[in-house]
Amino acid sequence: MSNASAIRLALVGNPNCGKTALFNLLTGSRQKVANYAGVTVERKEGRFHAPSGRHYALLDLPGAYSLHAASLDEAITRDLCRGFYPGEPAPDVIVCVVDATNLRLHLRFALEVRELGKPMVVAVNMMDAARRRGIEVDLAALERELGVPVVPTIAVRRDGARELVARLDAVAETLHEPRTHLGSGDGALEPEALHAETCRLLSLAVTMPRRTAEVDDALDRWLLHPVFGLLSLAIVMFLIFQAVYAWATPLMDLIDAGTATLGEWAATTLPQGPLNSLVVDGIIAGVGGVIVFLPQILILFAFILALEESGYLPRAAFLLDKLMASAGLSGRSFIPLLSSFACAIPGIMATRSIQDPRDRLATIIVAPLMTCSARLPVYALLIGAFIPQQKVGLFNLQGVVLFALYAAGIVSALAVAWVMKKWRRDKNEHALLLELPSYRLPHPRDLALGLWERAAIFLKRVGGIILALTVLLWVLLYFPNGGGDVTQSFAGQIGRAMTTVFSPIGFNWQICIALIPGLAAREVAVSSLATVYALSAADDAAAAQALTPLITHDWSLATALSLLVWYIYAPQCISTLATIKRETQSWKQVGMSAGYLFGLAYLASLITYQVAVVLGAG
Amino acid sequence: MDTGLLAQYVVIGLAVVLSAAFVMQKQFPSGVRRARIACALPLVRENRSAWLRRLGQWLAPAPRAGEGACGGCNGCDTNKS
Repeated sequence: MSNASAIRLALVGNPNCGKTALFNLLTGSRQKVANYAGVTVERKEGRFHAPSGRHYALLDLPGAYSLHAASLDEAITRDLCRGFYPGEPAPDVIVCVVDATNLRLHLRFALEVRELGKPMVVAVNMMDAARRRGIEVDLAALERELGVPVVPTIAVRRDGARELVARLDAVAETLHEPRTHLGSGDGALEPEALHAETCRLLSLAVTMPRRTAEVDDALDRWLLHPVFGLLSLAIVMFLIFQAVYAWATPLMDLIDAGTATLGEWAATTLPQGPLNSLVVDGIIAGVGGVIVFLPQILILFAFILALEESGYLPRAAFLLDKLMASAGLSGRSFIPLLSSFACAIPGIMATRSIQDPRDRLATIIVAPLMTCSARLPVYALLIGAFIPQQKVGLFNLQGVVLFALYAAGIVSALAVAWVMKKWRRDKNEHALLLELPSYRLPHPRDLALGLWERAAIFLKRVGGIILALTVLLWVLLYFPNGGGDVTQSFAGQIGRAMTTVFSPIGFNWQICIALIPGLAAREVAVSSLATVYALSAADDAAAAQALTPLITHDWSLATALSLLVWYIYAPQCISTLATIKRETQSWKQVGMSAGYLFGLAYLASLITYQVAVVLGAG
Repeated sequence: MDTGLLAQYVVIGLAVVLSAAFVMQKQFPSGVRRARIACALPLVRENRSAWLRRLGQWLAPAPRAGEGACGGCNGCDTNKS
């Protein structure tokens, strides 16, 4: 089906009204959805065929509160709707999605879109949630008053968009007929007129027993309380990290045993020689060393996904707003920074929803300090090797240390933002205007899908970039002396040269060599260490050992602590640098980010190592 | 060198080339694209033999979205959107 013959639809609406859920339902895509505003910051395109046989190209656009764009993501929506977006024709039909539980806000935007004068359908989404709250929407009255088709949708149900597709077919039939333009063509309506018209529509078509849900009010009394709210947030985060260690161990042991068995089988089956070494010491040791952390990553993301779905995260942003503002960040920085816990790249892209350019830049610069999931294998390896598995009161000590590492990243980000604020002598504080969504029980299917996606992303990295870099590192470790003294290999020589810079922070040549491929993906540092130690082992039995006992034997506690601290600040991966360049259009910012992260990492590791040595941990 | 060892080195060589290409493509996509265009352009000139031109077409990167089906070198500077 060519682009030309498909009818172009654009999904627009306020943030968090369910556009992306509707997009996924119609196109079968699996774009990220969550219960807070600002998840989509880029246009996404998908296709679907209606039962009538008609073909549609569907654009999912970032949420916007108004066509008078206040941020980059809103500007994308505005320009695309008006047909000004470079390289993108104007949509044939606009589907304006409104949240049935929040029509007071969402109808304003629908009225603005109607003023553009383009063919339009209004999809009143979340009708099921509205019914549960006793909200009644007279769709016929709304359609009559708006003068455009209005249909109910439930984007989280399999057949929730059937009526929408039928109405789109009907609208598509009339696309070539001359139309009576409803609006002025530019979406311009005075705010007072918009407000008055919205109130009129609400009084005619909507009956709601109360403006907010009772359960939301009851929960918010506690969860947004200045003391209990912050306490609840701290407890929730703390329990997540406890669970990561308490629940993952059996599965990790299983994967570990499987990798060891596979390694032994490959070592005895393959003929002796370089290929045997590549497969056993390189691929199985390296890749197996990383894949073992999959259960921990999945447990962490299960909690994050549940929090995203529940609607709690914007509340957390609200609770932390004062703290963030005093550090020079806007409350709007919370969601981008939160996204950075998965990966800094979507986090940096999510800063497009921040209106103030200086706030946006500050958020971009500190986003790499959030602990991305790629750091988790490194943390887990070092904590497993050097922190005893014992209880401190009720808590698992390893979980406490992991929590402390994540907290250190957050505190460092706030400190860097505060320094930036002082540097630029910025005394402005921007008030946080944030929409608090209704609480929702996370749907098990959405959680399962989200976890599946995370597992797929991780395994794709393991089978892609991590495997490729492990092979390349093995070559550098094996040659030129054919697997003899590994310190004389190419990698050994590079690593030993690097120790002149890194020995003051306690890094040996094996760690130094692992830092280089770690620039492509941080977890490669683990696979690199596994390969280095497998090749350095005196015999096959030693090589077959898991990495943990090898580094426990070879490193001091001071070195391990120094490496842990290094990875809090670790100069970010190349892909993150490329994203900073793309988002800021400035090499200067890229250089500044890389420079300050390297400086912080080195300084913090130096202090940690030297203090630990003085205290007798060297 | 016996045949078995030679075969092992051939497999390793292939793995290394594929890994290096994959890492370059993942980490430096624009650089790889430019390099592919630079390699392909001399091969697809009209005076080249058919097999060389086929090789050049194979080397040339796929056009980016919004570009025509010419091979996407952007050399003609026309706006196809």
